[in-house]
Amino acid sequence: MIVEGTFTFQGPRETVWELLQNPDVLVKVLPGAKRLVRAGEDRFDGVMQVGVGPVTAAEFTVSVMLKDKVPPQYYAMEVDSKGTLGFTRGSARVALEVLADGGTLMKYTAELQVGGKIAGVGQRLLDQVAKLMTRQGLEALNKELRARLAGGSSR
Amino acid sequence: MRRNEDARLLTGRALFVDDVQVEGMLHVAFLRSQHAHACLRTVDVAAARRRPGVVAVYTAADLGDYWRPGPLLVPPPPIAGLVFNACTQLPLARDKVRHVGEPIAMVVAESRYLAEDALDDVMVDAEPLAAVVDVEAALAPGAPLVHDHLPSNVAAHVVQRKGDYGRARAGAHATIRRRFRYDRGASAAIENRAVAAQWDPRAEELTVWDTTQAPIPIRNGLASLLGLLESQVRVIAPFVGGGFGPKIMMFYPEELLVPWAALRLGRPVKWTEDRQENFYATTQERGQVHDAELAIARDGKILGVRDVFLHDTGAYDPYGLTVPINSQCTLLGPYDVPTYESEFTAVFTNKTIVTPVRGAGRQHGVFVMERLLDFAAAELGIDRAEIRRRNLLRPEQFPHNHEIIFQDSAPLVYDSGDYAPALDEALRIIGYERFVRDEQPRLRAAGRHVGIGVVCYVEGTGIGPYEGARVTVEPSGRVRVATGVGTQGQGHFTAFAQIVAEVLGVDVERVHVITGDTREFHWGTGTFASRGAVVAGSACHAAALAVRERILDVASRHLEAAKQDLELADGHVRVRGAPDSAVSLGELALKANPLRGAVRPGTEPGLEATAYFGPARGSTANGVHAAIVEVDPETALVEVRRYVVVHDSGRVINPLLVDGQIQGGVAHGIGNAFYEQLVYDENGQLLNASFMDYLLPTATDVPPVETAHRETPSPLNPLGVKGVGEAGAIPTGAAFAQAVEDALSDYGVEITEIPLSPNRLFELITQAGRGGAGGRPKR
Amino acid sequence: MKPAAFEYHRPDTLDEALALLAARAGEAKPLAGGQSLIPAMNFRLARPGVLVDLNRLAELAYVRPAEGGLRIGAMTRQRVVERSSAVQGAAPLLAEALPFVAHPQIRNRGTVGGSLAHADPAAELPAVMVALAARFEARSRSGSRTIPAAEFFTGLFGTALAPDELLVEIALPPLPARSATAFLEVARRHGDYALVGVAAVVTLDERGRCREARITLLSVGGGPVLAAEAARVLAGQTPSEDVVRAAAEAAATRDADPPSDIHASAGYRRHLAAVLTRRALVRAFERAGHVA
Repeated sequence: MIVEGTFTFQGPRETVWELLQNPDVLVKVLPGAKRLVRAGEDRFDGVMQVGVGPVTAAEFTVSVMLKDKVPPQYYAMEVDSKGTLGFTRGSARVALEVLADGGTLMKYTAELQVGGKIAGVGQRLLDQVAKLMTRQGLEALNKELRARLAGGSSR
Repeated sequence: MRRNEDARLLTGRALFVDDVQVEGMLHVAFLRSQHAHACLRTVDVAAARRRPGVVAVYTAADLGDYWRPGPLLVPPPPIAGLVFNACTQLPLARDKVRHVGEPIAMVVAESRYLAEDALDDVMVDAEPLAAVVDVEAALAPGAPLVHDHLPSNVAAHVVQRKGDYGRARAGAHATIRRRFRYDRGASAAIENRAVAAQWDPRAEELTVWDTTQAPIPIRNGLASLLGLLESQVRVIAPFVGGGFGPKIMMFYPEELLVPWAALRLGRPVKWTEDRQENFYATTQERGQVHDAELAIARDGKILGVRDVFLHDTGAYDPYGLTVPINSQCTLLGPYDVPTYESEFTAVFTNKTIVTPVRGAGRQHGVFVMERLLDFAAAELGIDRAEIRRRNLLRPEQFPHNHEIIFQDSAPLVYDSGDYAPALDEALRIIGYERFVRDEQPRLRAAGRHVGIGVVCYVEGTGIGPYEGARVTVEPSGRVRVATGVGTQGQGHFTAFAQIVAEVLGVDVERVHVITGDTREFHWGTGTFASRGAVVAGSACHAAALAVRERILDVASRHLEAAKQDLELADGHVRVRGAPDSAVSLGELALKANPLRGAVRPGTEPGLEATAYFGPARGSTANGVHAAIVEVDPETALVEVRRYVVVHDSGRVINPLLVDGQIQGGVAHGIGNAFYEQLVYDENGQLLNASFMDYLLPTATDVPPVETAHRETPSPLNPLGVKGVGEAGAIPTGAAFAQAVEDALSDYGVEITEIPLSPNRLFELITQAGRGGAGGRPKR
Repeated sequence: MKPAAFEYHRPDTLDEALALLAARAGEAKPLAGGQSLIPAMNFRLARPGVLVDLNRLAELAYVRPAEGGLRIGAMTRQRVVERSSAVQGAAPLLAEALPFVAHPQIRNRGTVGGSLAHADPAAELPAVMVALAARFEARSRSGSRTIPAAEFFTGLFGTALAPDELLVEIALPPLPARSATAFLEVARRHGDYALVGVAAVVTLDERGRCREARITLLSVGGGPVLAAEAARVLAGQTPSEDVVRAAAEAAATRDADPPSDIHASAGYRRHLAAVLTRRALVRAFERAGHVA
């Protein structure tokens, strides 16, 4: 499965970059993230509980490895998650561009393998769930970004 | 005539394996691989073992000497130059998993609920490997290997030739060449697999209830694997809700592990496959890619065919080469094909194992040949029905030797057939000429897209080696017939009863048939390859004839009349012309089993006989399918308007049963043609592992099938019968491809693949049309 | 395919049900007809700790004419609604769409409210309710509120219901004068999830021009998609083949953002959206008395 798109953040690229590398922020904004900790220089481990519609029991352990970082404009990720309902594995590439209005344009492409029960019975919704979760995560991050810029959130 | 078994089936009194309830019974759930291809590093079951209600959890390591690959069920036939790499399935994966759903651990618990709860506790550490999914990519240099000890993913390579195709091609007016694809489906029996087992320590007997199509080989194999005498193992295949082929696979891991666990734990154990497991763990069929070429003369006469194909055998190949050899042999169809060159490569992939599913490779052969003829007809400007007629084998050409080897290791020889009248009858019933001349142009002018398809096929049926039957007349006058073949809904209880009833002169309802219980009968192989009526039916017939002789012996002494003066009717024996002399079969049965006194030396008790039948080779059924469809080119939806089957399976024992087989087969074929496709992604994940997304045709998608029977008897068995179990499903895809293509002829759509989903048809229409979504007609 | 363990309650009254939902908010899942929830539980995709079975709540099963329109209790079986003459009279769109909802066996058990609260993007009833501008009554222990259908559906399986709220009633307003409706759907087999479906409500003015068109599409987005762009194309226009085609094109290309799955690519869905919107509009305008 390929998930790709663009998203515009209302804030400077350096701040966006910083938020994207901060597990304490990510755990707040990623849909269903229950725990996310730094497990190494460029590695995060965590637990996600994905709930979409009738699916309420999807808990996954997740590990994310960041690679090829070029701060503050580019990084790649290896994602590996598994749970009793299945697994997802894959890689993603994220590029950040400065926009003329001071905002930041994110371009992302993820190539994910989905396996197990979620692949076997969830195919009708995978596409939409991936889109939805990505959008929710990015919107929440943008909200966090704006709050931060307005001084509304503590470090 | 009503079916003898229906009263039990319709009132819920028929026993199915999941109905088996024994006190203290334990229940099983399997932990199955989520990965299509992975190295298994560790399988930690400690937490699962601790869960309350869990009795045992087993992994490969717990199986000890019982961990060994399953048997090779069908050794490859003796074909020169044949390559075959046997890699049979394993009871539980140990070092590597090779398809999603391969069992890794077995949980035995007090209930299925608890067993499933414990699955969550098992920790599997697996390192995913790149999966082998596409058959062509599987053969590319550097492709990942499904079986590491082999140099490639080639499971088999076979070439069969008849005559000199190269020379035929050189002299051809035209050659038609296409690539054809046929994708995988599930057998989707209404009853999933189930196994229950109980060890009786006092009787020292293991009883196994199994949804198998082959209870006797299962008994023999289990005895050998578990170190028991064959007579210590009783396998019962009670009523089984559909077989369609996959239930003859042996041994499924579960089929071995459940009896093994019952022995080891000393408690009865049951496992019933759920539908989700069925999609991963029950064998499947049908992925092939053909590159085929037809050399044809100006007058439409076939000069030769060359076909090179890849066959997806899945992760293991326990069933040998039955499926691809069927494809290879069935391609020739009812036609006179002077030269033939067929080469196939069977390929291991990281998908569920492939074994025969109703049709068993025959679909592919028919599809390729019939499509080639359609393209040739278009090229040569010959009517589609006419090009077929010109190539049909004539009655004087039988028996006809195709000079290649069939799945039963014998040469492919058609025993009998009368093909042209079957084609004519199908054309007449569907009104081919009127449709093509009047109806189609009239509807086309009104903007409606209707099309017709007419295809021919032959089906090799009724192969050996043998079956047996025991017929007993009881003192009640009722007759008991025991055979070894299992029953999955075909109507054996009626067909076998009819055969025996006719010989013994009793009512069909008075004949009680027992199948699939090794305690009742323990010689034979099973129900497959459209062979029940042919082989077991002939054995029933032979046993009934022997019993008839015994009846006449006893009656002749009792009535003091010569045997040739006696007649059997209405359950009685009479002296011809002396109605008052009648004595019932029940009385004779009592007389044949005296309790006191003396018998003549050499006398065997009772009115009972056992007989066996093994045909020299399979008998060849044939038929013609004709379909009319309407296509909405805007939505790409296809509606089946009519479906006609003219079928010749030799002598018909029971038209109701034959019609039922054909109706069901066509439903299966409609599924194949339009709905049923197991969609694997590039990582070997099955994306439609439920009936939510795997679409079976329902009552609203299957039209009533108009059938007509022709009867060209087989000379290979005393009944003159041929098999019919698969016929309905075999040419269906080819018939619809032709009909849909015909309906869309003004778009120039060419159909070379099955199944044909609306999405795919939309793509074809869009590609064929000159731009614009949905395309526009060419003219 | 056996569900994980759960606690089961079967209240006899709505008040009891609401009390349970309030007491166990976040944990409790209401069970209506069970045609989606039970399979999800058997697959162990859903593991609700507490099930509150609503099937004893006879007070929520009714179809009543009201203010020229209809009021439908949330626990009314779909099959009852389908066969109701009141529905056929006052909301023919609903009657026309219901036979597309799965199979009769499922509609005998499935409820109107259950389907709406489930909010499957491929479901027919949400699209119909949005097209008909239905109003939903949600109730909790703390009170009741009315939610317009268009605001009820918040995206993929999302609704405006709070965890302790139950959808209790659907109010359908009467159709304006010179209105007509049509429902069309393409599914792979009868009763399958729609590849695309269209519900259309058109209203003409005195001179036969399109005053309003409420067109909703299903299975082309996260929820029912109200085709605003298509409506704009039609507004004030005399229905003609060209206008209808342009509206259908707008619905397919500007309103819909269809997903791809194994049954239909986004492209095929978009194409079907155009074809079905056109056909549904033609049918609705014909029914409204306009002959193009």
